[in-house]
Amino acid sequence: MANDPLLSRIDELSGAFTAGQIDRRRFLKGLIGLGLSLPAIGVIVAACSSAATPSPATLAPATMAPATLAPATAVPATASAAATLAAATFDPTALIAAAKGEGSLYQTGIPPEWVNYQAIFDLWKQNYGITINGTSTEGEYSSGQELDSIKNTGKPDVGDVGISFAVQAKTDGLSAPYKNSYWADIPDTAKDADGYWACNYWGAQAFAVNTDAVKIPINDWKDLLDPSLKNAVGIDGDPTKANDSFFAVWSAAIANGGGIDNIQPGIDFFNQLQQSGNLTAARASDANILSGEVKIAIKWDYLGLAVRDKAAGAPNITVTIPSSGSLASPYADIIAAKAPHPNAAKLWQELIYSDAAQLLFLKGYAHPIRFDALTAAGKIPADLAAKLPSADLYKKVTIVTDIAKITAAKTILGTGWKIVVNS
Amino acid sequence: MRSPTDGPLAGAPIATRRRGGRAAFALIPFAILVGAFLLVPTVALVWGSFHDSNTGAFTLSNYSYLGDPLDLVPFRNSLELSLAATILGSVVGLLIAQAIVSSRRPIVQEIATTFSSVAANFAGVPLAFAFGATLGLNGLITVALKNNGIDINEGGFRLRSLMGLIVVYAYWEIPLMVLVMLPPLQAMKPSWREAAEILGASRWQYLRSVAIPILMTPFISSLLLLYANAFGAYATAYGLTTGFVSLVPIEISNLTNGDVSHNLGVADALAIGLAVIMAICIGSRAILERRSTRWLAR
Repeated sequence: MANDPLLSRIDELSGAFTAGQIDRRRFLKGLIGLGLSLPAIGVIVAACSSAATPSPATLAPATMAPATLAPATAVPATASAAATLAAATFDPTALIAAAKGEGSLYQTGIPPEWVNYQAIFDLWKQNYGITINGTSTEGEYSSGQELDSIKNTGKPDVGDVGISFAVQAKTDGLSAPYKNSYWADIPDTAKDADGYWACNYWGAQAFAVNTDAVKIPINDWKDLLDPSLKNAVGIDGDPTKANDSFFAVWSAAIANGGGIDNIQPGIDFFNQLQQSGNLTAARASDANILSGEVKIAIKWDYLGLAVRDKAAGAPNITVTIPSSGSLASPYADIIAAKAPHPNAAKLWQELIYSDAAQLLFLKGYAHPIRFDALTAAGKIPADLAAKLPSADLYKKVTIVTDIAKITAAKTILGTGWKIVVNS
Repeated sequence: MRSPTDGPLAGAPIATRRRGGRAAFALIPFAILVGAFLLVPTVALVWGSFHDSNTGAFTLSNYSYLGDPLDLVPFRNSLELSLAATILGSVVGLLIAQAIVSSRRPIVQEIATTFSSVAANFAGVPLAFAFGATLGLNGLITVALKNNGIDINEGGFRLRSLMGLIVVYAYWEIPLMVLVMLPPLQAMKPSWREAAEILGASRWQYLRSVAIPILMTPFISSLLLLYANAFGAYATAYGLTTGFVSLVPIEISNLTNGDVSHNLGVADALAIGLAVIMAICIGSRAILERRSTRWLAR
């Protein structure tokens, strides 16, 4: 084997790299120069990296590779290597010590007032005493701004992004793979197979019903067509613009013979709702729900639950998940590829998927990704469960993470919605 | 005090005084303004409307909306809404303005002018909210009327519809009409009427031969202003109807800001359609104005 000139050259390069004689860039360039395929390079790098001793300031080696290599092709080998490494060697005490050694965590796009994140920040502080930076400067960033910051400033360690941006971050090589120790609890559709992102919580389309004004039971989409509901049903904005109402229309497809692959029956249902005079042009905003202008709001469950609490009985509002089911849109978290504090970033992942933090999300009415596991283990407090739609109804909810399907549905809505509005 | 022979009321062409070439420099800021905010955007719109926004290739397909009845609905809605709001605003506004002038009480005139300038600029989301709170399904007035046995919603009134928008638009169109018509009405001198009466003119003859010709130009200009104001309004309509009443500005915004139906080329083509309508308005105003000046010159 050693007689093979290619292999001996690889050996030479690997030796030089592990001994620290050449840096990663020169090592990769050398391998690419030998005409190796990218996956093969990934395997070699991963193998050599576990041999090399990383300085605490650099990332765990395997996670570094995708940023330099073309990610799409390099992913399988490196990522699975990293994942195996993480799963096999995960030890909270070591990670905590390493994170404390790094001294701080820099977050982007994680607003303290959003889905109870402040309580999770407090939990982090209390558990580890590590400072979180970035909250005041970048906490309110949109997903797009988060990726820009990761790309251009190199400061952020972790970010909380919309699902399409998580996918984009992987494609653009902006995120690093890490599979937290609760990985198995996360449904396959809600995580990247290579560990580049995972969804930590989601919201599902729900009905927020003003029970003072609506006297008939509203359990499913067909109930909305009742003749007594003139001008009563509202959605949260123009579905061609707002994600919330786009998902409302899409969710209606489920009960009407369509679903995640076919939004058209949802559009038809809304057309029917419009023709019946039940659909109001008033936006299902908090103000319009509280004033009774919108009597049945179709919107995210967490928004509905929040306005129910805000109303505090004036009017009485019940939030329910349609019994035919509805769609959910998740948020994902990513670790920056060039995170200055990689261990703190991993520790953050461990924290937000832990029972304690997942229950804090639920308290903020975001639906934690490990909800089913927590329910099965009986870990959801009865008083909290009583405030939510039943866990059984949530079983009918489908989480949408397939970007291609979202794009396809939006294209059909673009032309289909005109008929609802203009005819 | 403005005399009827200067400013926009002038019947005869104002004598032009020859000036040195240096005076042309004074036009530079204006030329830059027109160039940056009128010419460049217009050229960009025309160019964009004939090019595919994804590939950049020349295309006529952005104008395919002209052949689709469904795509022309926003134009019909916008035209109807603007026309109705203009008629309502101009008739009521003109009567109020005349009443203010006739009252001859400075305090009334001042209060009316101040209120009008506030109301004429009260638009957008706050106005939508104000109307929702008064004439909405559970609005103050709606509920008060209901308690007295009058259900305006049962009677067919829907605030969040084309009809409702006409009422809401009239809220700023009327005071705008008052504001723009007050100066020309105030400029009408009582001596003209006295002169006409001395010469034996009836009230109708005075109106037909003196008042209407003089007021025609400012009146038509006001109509145009009101119409343009209604046609271009966006935030109020969107705030009130969430896009359920489709208007041209809302449609354009869907195409430029919406992530579902994003298409800048078609947005440009719609904007050109809007510009053509405005050009027709301005053109017909020019023709009418020429007629009224000829009248005046007679």
